Amino acid sequence: MTCRAMTEDTEHVIHVERLTKRYGDLLAVNDISFTVRKGEVFAFLGPNGAGKTTTAEIIETIRTPTSGTVSLLGMDVTKQKRNIVRRIGVLPQGFTSFDRITVRETIQYYSRLFNCRNTDVDGLIELANLRDRSKEQFTNLSGGLKQRLGIAIALVNNPEVVFLDEPTTGLDPRARREVWDVLLGLKRKGKTVFLTTHYMEEAELLADTVAIISKGSIVAMGSPMALIESNAHYLVLTLQSVHNTVFPIVQKMGFEPAHTNHKNITVRLEHQDDVRTILNALKDAGASFLSLDVRKPNLEEVFLKLTGAPLREGLAEEVA
Amino acid sequence: MSLRVIGANLIVSIKSFYREKTAVFFTLAFPVLLILVFGTIFMNQDNVRFDFRVQDLDQTDLSAELVKTLELNEKFTITMVAPAIDAAQYAKNNKLNLVVVIPKDYERSLIGRMTHNDPNASVTITYIYDPSSTSVSTKMQILNSVFAEINQRMSGKPPFITPAEISILSRDYRFIDFFVPGIIAMTVMTASLFGAVNVNAELRQKGVIKKLSTTPITRTDWILSNVLYQFLLSVISTISILLVSYAVFDVSLQLNSWLPVFVVLDVFAFVGIGMILTRVAKEAESAAAAANAIMFPMMFLSGTFFPVEMMPGFLQKFSRILPLYYVNEGLRASMIFVDNMIALRCSVIIGVFAAVVFVLGMMTTKWEEG
Repeated sequence: MTCRAMTEDTEHVIHVERLTKRYGDLLAVNDISFTVRKGEVFAFLGPNGAGKTTTAEIIETIRTPTSGTVSLLGMDVTKQKRNIVRRIGVLPQGFTSFDRITVRETIQYYSRLFNCRNTDVDGLIELANLRDRSKEQFTNLSGGLKQRLGIAIALVNNPEVVFLDEPTTGLDPRARREVWDVLLGLKRKGKTVFLTTHYMEEAELLADTVAIISKGSIVAMGSPMALIESNAHYLVLTLQSVHNTVFPIVQKMGFEPAHTNHKNITVRLEHQDDVRTILNALKDAGASFLSLDVRKPNLEEVFLKLTGAPLREGLAEEVA
Repeated sequence: MSLRVIGANLIVSIKSFYREKTAVFFTLAFPVLLILVFGTIFMNQDNVRFDFRVQDLDQTDLSAELVKTLELNEKFTITMVAPAIDAAQYAKNNKLNLVVVIPKDYERSLIGRMTHNDPNASVTITYIYDPSSTSVSTKMQILNSVFAEINQRMSGKPPFITPAEISILSRDYRFIDFFVPGIIAMTVMTASLFGAVNVNAELRQKGVIKKLSTTPITRTDWILSNVLYQFLLSVISTISILLVSYAVFDVSLQLNSWLPVFVVLDVFAFVGIGMILTRVAKEAESAAAAANAIMFPMMFLSGTFFPVEMMPGFLQKFSRILPLYYVNEGLRASMIFVDNMIALRCSVIIGVFAAVVFVLGMMTTKWEEG
């Protein structure tokens, strides 16, 4: 069988309608609905246990829904598993493979499972930036390399939709950036990507549409910029390496500063003029600081505002 | 079912196997080592010699003649102890398990019996022995039979009962010939049971099965490719066991079509049990522990290492409900006794068992998440 995308003339490749998933008494996914357009990168952003992976696995045909309907490429995921899996690529959460099988052999193995005779193994190795490690056994790869191999495997059948479930969780910043480079390559190729993540930077960098999910429900959905514009009408001023007197001065002015660490403070400002007001007050008081940064809020802060809980541990203090 | 998919799985399994040195050792080298060790131990069983000390307190020609008679028995290796020594203390000091003491008046008593036909003329040969020794009772039993024979000869009458030995086997078989079929059955069982547990529990726990469930491979493809792989490993280990057995011990075994039949049934039965265990035990570690709990009674109570007949009655009954018992019996019936009826009976029993557990195993093997 020749593996190539069998594109359909439909705008939306994923339709999720009133999807609910229960595990006994636990409500993992609570009546959610959304659609994913062809060619877009759609990100599910939420903390651990929010229902991201459960939703993704139902669409991938790994799990069955309790209620609701899910269609993928025009097919019902509960009825046409065999047809669906041939047209999608999946990087499951915490991807692993056979320990003693090399990078090249692993890609060849998955290619055979899809009965693909024209898989460009070298091209996939190149895409995942694994050329120097193609003879390395899986067990000897670092976490980042394993994830990159997982992405390459998810592409062996030239899928129409690629599912990436937390592709950078547990990776160090450098390895995460290397995985992002691979994902940006997919985005440039126009692949439809369904991404789950709890990293705000990842969603902001890669996603065309972000659905913010908390406790099994979607609380907001839109482009990253639109989400920020519509949910956070303020600026964040960060003063770095501040003098001890800075914090009380800002506090006395009626703002609510917060320490991000023992040297830096952040202040939420409603108006752009507030920056100048604070800087003038500090100058008059002779309080010093090393540098300052003024920026719009990010998705993490939007998430905090919408749900009252941080995306990750320790974030609440940073953005309060 | 896709042959291409089954082939791909088979290639991955074989590569994973030969790159994992411990797996190679336990699957291939370990049974061969067992054959070599047990074969060497039991190869000399017929030529075992028992050593003990003799103290001749009589120091006469006739007492020396008795010692010579004992030495002529091929089973004994005798070392003399000086008559002046305290034999009991000597045995204790030198940690000897047997010293045979010929009394001082041996020659006089013997002449009294032989020449004067004096019925009261007799001697007592003393065994100074260590009852904690495991081999001493065998030595004493053999000595008793030697002395009984001397007594009988001195009576001047031919023995009334003379034993004659007729083997039920067409050829002269040794212990190693009985041992090899048991090792084949045990090796196939171990590889199949642990192979199924590892593949299904470990790969599930690691998440590999979840990834596979997002590909076109079906549960049937997966299970069949694993059975094929276990069968291939079983064939390789059976061949290596047989090669070593023939090359080193020159075993006398009949190789016929029953051998592959029992190997296949052994594989299906224990892959089936492994699949069921994996479903019952959630974690890979507990599945492996459960496999051990099944394997050890099977190994020791189904006649792999020693005949079931050596066990107490209730254990013999228990052994007859163990599937490996029928593989052992069937293989021995075909490879040693060439008894097709017993082989057929055993193959039907293990075949029905294998079919039931394998179907149950297939039904319980989880491919998709809940």
